[in-house]
Amino acid sequence: MSGRIIDVNNRKVQVLESGSGKPLLYLHGFADIHSVKESWLPLHEKLAQHTRVIAPAHPGCAQTDENKDLDTIEDVVFHYLEVLDALNLTQFDLVGSCVGGWIAAELAVRHPEKIRKLVLIGASGLFVQGALIGDIFMMAQPEYGSSYTTLREMLFSSADHPMALEMFPDGKGELEDEVRRYQMLRLSSRIGFKPPYFYNHSLINRLHRITSPTLIIWGEKDNFVPRSHGETYAKLIPNSGELRIIPGTGHSAHVEKPEETAKLVCEFLEK
Amino acid sequence: MKPVQLFCWHFMAYPYLAKDFDEKEYSGWVTVPNRLWDNTKARGLYQEYIDQLVYADELGFDGMVLNEHHQNIYGLMPSPNMIAAALTQNTSRGKIIILGNLLPLHLNPMRVAEEYAMLDQMSHGRLVAGFAPGGGPETFNYDVPSANTREKFWEAADLIVRSWTEDGPFAHEGRYFPLRYVNLWPKPLQKPFPPVWIPGSRSPSTMTEVAKRGYCYFLSSRSHGGETHRAQQEFAAVLEKHGDKYHPFRFGILMSTYVAETDQQAREECEEGVWYFLKNCLKGHLRRVGRQLTYGPGVPYIPAAAWREYMKNYTPGRKLLGDVENWEELEASQSIIVGSPETVTRRIQSLIEKAKVGNLLIQFQLGNMPDHLARKSMKLFAEKVAPALRHVSVKQFTEEYPGINIEQSAEAIH
Repeated sequence: MSGRIIDVNNRKVQVLESGSGKPLLYLHGFADIHSVKESWLPLHEKLAQHTRVIAPAHPGCAQTDENKDLDTIEDVVFHYLEVLDALNLTQFDLVGSCVGGWIAAELAVRHPEKIRKLVLIGASGLFVQGALIGDIFMMAQPEYGSSYTTLREMLFSSADHPMALEMFPDGKGELEDEVRRYQMLRLSSRIGFKPPYFYNHSLINRLHRITSPTLIIWGEKDNFVPRSHGETYAKLIPNSGELRIIPGTGHSAHVEKPEETAKLVCEFLEK
Repeated sequence: MKPVQLFCWHFMAYPYLAKDFDEKEYSGWVTVPNRLWDNTKARGLYQEYIDQLVYADELGFDGMVLNEHHQNIYGLMPSPNMIAAALTQNTSRGKIIILGNLLPLHLNPMRVAEEYAMLDQMSHGRLVAGFAPGGGPETFNYDVPSANTREKFWEAADLIVRSWTEDGPFAHEGRYFPLRYVNLWPKPLQKPFPPVWIPGSRSPSTMTEVAKRGYCYFLSSRSHGGETHRAQQEFAAVLEKHGDKYHPFRFGILMSTYVAETDQQAREECEEGVWYFLKNCLKGHLRRVGRQLTYGPGVPYIPAAAWREYMKNYTPGRKLLGDVENWEELEASQSIIVGSPETVTRRIQSLIEKAKVGNLLIQFQLGNMPDHLARKSMKLFAEKVAPALRHVSVKQFTEEYPGINIEQSAEAIH
């Protein structure tokens, strides 16, 4: 196991940490650290050259204890308030991707004072009429006995992208990768399966509370969280710039183009 | 000692799909387009199926089995309780087994408690109350989040049984179904409460929960090789661990059969219905062609540790029942037993011998099998197979389970 285990109100939470300087809390999504990979991806390594990256695993993911009483996004937000206490983080940069971006936005609307700068990458969380977030659970059921083509299509620009094939291979992957993927789906089933599908109807009306400068990054063609969600975040978060698109990428822009993503994020954080 | 109990199970498949269904359509479940429903052809279909079950009662089967499915061509009973209600009016002897109502799909488990109590009264105490948690397809068509399905299921099941046995009104202080006034009207007729059956697919945790409560375990697998025998042994071991003893009527299996005058005739008569069932009805469920909805990481209802164990032995792309390519493979799967009365008797007898199972839940009507053939097979089974199975099983069970008072059965533990 990499990283360390901290105790949060008698529950174990796995935390990876790298780099030095201002603290940056990274909250993971599906194609990510903790939900597939045991350790850092290139994006995080690049961020860690500039800042102190702290990446906890969500409840029930990787080595973090499952919490059976967790069944709404509110419970996840409260979990993270306890994690912040345990880590002594009072002011920090917050970067969230995918479901991690949703959690980040929910934290930011409740505690804008804690967030120095906010970055959302392909974040779910919003209800946007006519732009349903994709059914990742259906896509995670194998086709033709062993194919995860449609799952990769949902999470990447193409099912054949090398990172897509590495992270979500057909057949059976590395056992521990398989378990981590499963854990992430299990957590997501608690908070994002029953309608609302990966969104909180109230979030959209709360975005005005976010005070930190905010950067919204989206893949060019996101088949999981449609781009209009990014446009909505960019429009409704007061201190946010234009939506930044990473060309040639899908939902997992940060995995498909880590250099470009890291460059955007670092420039924004250092501005 | 009672003999092996022979029940007639009807799934009520949609039988009017075009010949090119498998070629053209992606799935038989959840997303199977409902434009394929043909009102003209389907007129009278429920009556035909209900009448087959009534016929089973007349032929002396020990009961009739129904279950719940949604948005599929495999089983047209979103509400088995409605069919059960019809059976209470048209049958008089056999048990009415509902296996089961899918508890997590109900907003309030009291609805199931009430309907089952009504059915028990309406049938003069013939109800067997099955509870099931639902599998992958139900996750999708009723939007049931997977991770807490099992906890929700057992809370609902326990609340229902408590409402049947404890005087109301009482408050249920549950995690998922808190209720201030639980006060069941009507009460079920059977005392202390109708027999409860729970389906499972060899998961040790389900077996444990069933054993703790003294219920009957029903193996939902459709194939009966060594696995059935192993399931029986596993369940027996779990019962022992809970200070209980296995006997054949604690355990049930699902099987399909077709009986005709000769082996050759049996195969010829049932083949169309069998392939319709395997290729169309199982598409999306027990086939690797299309998307496998029943089990997979997208319906994560078992804990991560159990998933790790499952993955260790998992072979991607392995053949499922609906993937069999020819008759020989099908025979080897021991899922659908086809033949003359002699052949069917011999094969089922050997299954009972090995698996020590006292409840056989047998599907006769398969896929688009016409009414007259389903009835002929049921009649031959009732007249030429059932007597021998009953005779031999009494002998076997008496020798193997001396001193076990079957009549007391599961409920007495409460």
